[in-house]
Amino acid sequence: MKTMIRTMTACLMTAVLFSGVAVADRTPAPANAYLYVGWPNDGEVLPANRPFRVWFGLRNLGVAPKGANVPNTGHHHLLIDTDLPPLDQEIPSDRNHIHFGAGQTETTIELPRGTHTLQLLMGDYNHVPHDPPVYSRKITVYVR
Amino acid sequence: MLIRTVAVTVLLAVSCTMALAVERTPAPKDARVYIIWPPDGAVIRGGKLWVRMGVRNAGVAPKDVCMPNTGHHHLLIDTDLPPFDEEIISDRQHLHFGGGQTEARLEDLTPGKHTLQLLLADCNHVPHDPPLYSNKITITVPPY
Repeated sequence: MKTMIRTMTACLMTAVLFSGVAVADRTPAPANAYLYVGWPNDGEVLPANRPFRVWFGLRNLGVAPKGANVPNTGHHHLLIDTDLPPLDQEIPSDRNHIHFGAGQTETTIELPRGTHTLQLLMGDYNHVPHDPPVYSRKITVYVR
Repeated sequence: MLIRTVAVTVLLAVSCTMALAVERTPAPKDARVYIIWPPDGAVIRGGKLWVRMGVRNAGVAPKDVCMPNTGHHHLLIDTDLPPFDEEIISDRQHLHFGGGQTEARLEDLTPGKHTLQLLLADCNHVPHDPPLYSNKITITVPPY
């Protein structure tokens, strides 16, 4: 019984230690880093069947391609029609989570008719959000 | 003898120049650098502003991060383009954004007319080949 408790305590401590390591692995970001969608505006009505440009606005933080581990930098991720992913792990890469690992600071997208949301989230050189996470307000656009 | 020395010197000089020229990073295809904001002719009360630096079809990488199709921004204030085959000088008229910044805060523009122009450079601060620079715009700071 005593051994079991000891083993459990050890396991628990290891788990705590590892989660501590996971948190420490996140790249720090300056508290005043500010990310925003420069264009389109929140509530913008956009014509259907026409690609539109999205500007990534970023202050007090720099852009670096994926794989480049430079302090106070990250790369952009555009979230389309989705909520923020878990902030302590790699950002998924799919049609709703577009990665800009080459250091791009704008893109062109085309969306089907309807209401859509756009949000930006910075990821570090490993695609993991910073600590604290740097993300923009979620905006809504109407494609008609 | 003298002719041979002169010839060797000339050859050496030519090959050195060529070596310099060869070291320039090729510009990403279709890349374009431009000032997103302010627009040409803008009137900036108080002389304080954020300059949004735009690059299309290329990425941003901090200085010393040498990756294909990337560069970092330089903001030229009240000056013409520098020579393209050497490092961009660093002074109050040639601001370097080696941290991968995509916005520049200007706070000490004096009343009067000022020009702004962007020039992208590679990881060694040397402009690409062909060089990637924006239009030169003029803004006015009215008397305080």
